[in-house]
Amino acid sequence: MGNKVIIIGAGPAGLSAAITLAEKNIGVVVIDEYLYEGGRLLGQLYEETPNKWWNGIAESERLLARAKELNVEFSLQTSVSDLEKIDQDWVLHTNKGVFHTKQLLLATGAAESPFPIPGWTLPGVMSVGAAQVMTNVHRVKPGKRGVIIGVNVLSSAIAMELQIADVQVAAITLPAANLLTINSSNPLEVMNSLLYVSHMAPSPLIKIGSKFMKNEILKKLGIRFYPKDGVKMWGIPIMLRKAVIEIVGKDQVEGVVLATVNIDGSIVPGSEKRIDVDFVCIAGGLYPLAELASLAGCPFHYIEQLGGFVPLHNEQMETNLTGLHVAGNITGIEGAKVALAQGKVAALTIASKLGASVTQIDIQQAIENVETTRANAHIQFHPEVLVGRQKMKEIWAQTLSHTLS
Amino acid sequence: MQNKTMMVCRCEEVSFDELVKTASEYNCSARELKLRTRAGMGYCGGRTCRTMVDQIAHIYQPRSNNDISLKYQAPIRPVRFADLGEVKS
Ligand SMILES: Cc1cc2nc3c(=O)[nH]c(=O)nc-3n(C[C@H](O)[C@H](O)[C@H](O)COP(=O)(O)OP(=O)(O)OC[C@H]3O[C@@H](n4cnc5c(N)ncnc54)[C@H](O)[C@@H]3O)c2cc1C
Repeated sequence: MGNKVIIIGAGPAGLSAAITLAEKNIGVVVIDEYLYEGGRLLGQLYEETPNKWWNGIAESERLLARAKELNVEFSLQTSVSDLEKIDQDWVLHTNKGVFHTKQLLLATGAAESPFPIPGWTLPGVMSVGAAQVMTNVHRVKPGKRGVIIGVNVLSSAIAMELQIADVQVAAITLPAANLLTINSSNPLEVMNSLLYVSHMAPSPLIKIGSKFMKNEILKKLGIRFYPKDGVKMWGIPIMLRKAVIEIVGKDQVEGVVLATVNIDGSIVPGSEKRIDVDFVCIAGGLYPLAELASLAGCPFHYIEQLGGFVPLHNEQMETNLTGLHVAGNITGIEGAKVALAQGKVAALTIASKLGASVTQIDIQQAIENVETTRANAHIQFHPEVLVGRQKMKEIWAQTLSHTLS
Repeated sequence: MQNKTMMVCRCEEVSFDELVKTASEYNCSARELKLRTRAGMGYCGGRTCRTMVDQIAHIYQPRSNNDISLKYQAPIRPVRFADLGEVKS
């Protein structure tokens, strides 16, 4: 086993890396703690451009079939709980025993960050990703009628998915302002962040909005006159001037209290109104899931545009630790297509170290492919992701010059 | 319902108010905030509240960008005692 490359994470990054390695006749074991291969792809289903759908399940089936054809080994329901370097080997501790490898790729993806709302610990409150997994992967409805708190790319995509599954979404709305919802509770800030996703939103609001709202004064006017009951997108009201101030219920979610908010996010007194729902989703955003890189001893940097703390790495997807590589959302929050492209880069880098026929030009082309994929991405989680990527490049260059001098 | 009962760390039952009060009183690091309140030290290993505890601390103390403020400790997933050291007879 020690001669095989190990990949932790069977999402798009891990699967594409596995396929690329296996195509070079390199043995690969992919470890994932979930029941199925595919990672977050399994939940994804949305219309990219009219009549062109991104179906994550079909995508992961395609990748998996190719990987199996190439004899990639999978170890599912296998959680890596610790990792250490012993001599030349990376040693992984899992619930299915100990694994050894010289070349390790971490493709562990992203996790959701919640924000608290009074009443958010009631049964029936879940992260928006949990609702997505229940609905699209397990085919269990999270409830009959719900509210999504947090207006962003992810929540609007998942709202549509819920609707396709015949689950009613009463509204997508803001959270009440508190210290942990500063940006996501301010109507103007949220409006700003939505302007960057205009190309993906089939919503007339956002499309029209993005044209004239680059202007600050018009933007303020726009949010001031934004309809209090929201603007409908796929029939779901997106409420930028209402916030959930409390989730109510005795033993489980029975409803939420909505209030009108001023453009600075403060509550208009007396505007509180209760609506009945039986589930609530919190959409607080994503951050790179980098626990294992941290245990391994990678240096980290906080880069807001990439979603939080990311392990130091270069464009070839190497960390500064021998034999340790990263790909996908662990390096920064982006869509599935970017993760696929990054997986290929990581695999080529590893393959070249193992003496396979890989040229620097091959690697360079794969890196360029990541960049074009990013430029054409339909889903963008942070409008300035490029700035974030650039920062990491600079930090890497600085660190390198330190170690050389 | 007020923020007083708005939980941030469910495992150790640490409320939003307690975290904000402690962070503003001590202007401390995320790690110190964790140690003072026990937020993030329960059985889930901080998997739910980590980002919130971190964020509250950094409202009162500016972030140093070069290190994970709340360290990860192994095991990062729940582990059965048997997997740690079962003696097979
Ligand atoms: C809730 C949610 C919704 C999203 N929706 C979209 C969307 O609609 N469109 C889009 O383009 N992007 C979406 N994304 C972004 C998504 O992260 C990327 O699209 C893509 O899936 C990232 O690929 P990845 O391979 O890096 O990680 P993932 O697809 O997340 O795969 C990582 C895998 O690693 C495994 N893993 C992690 N830690 C361990 C461990 N310790 N031991 C064993 N296995 C482990 C996980 O089980 C998982 O299967 C979403 C992300 C989330 C969290």
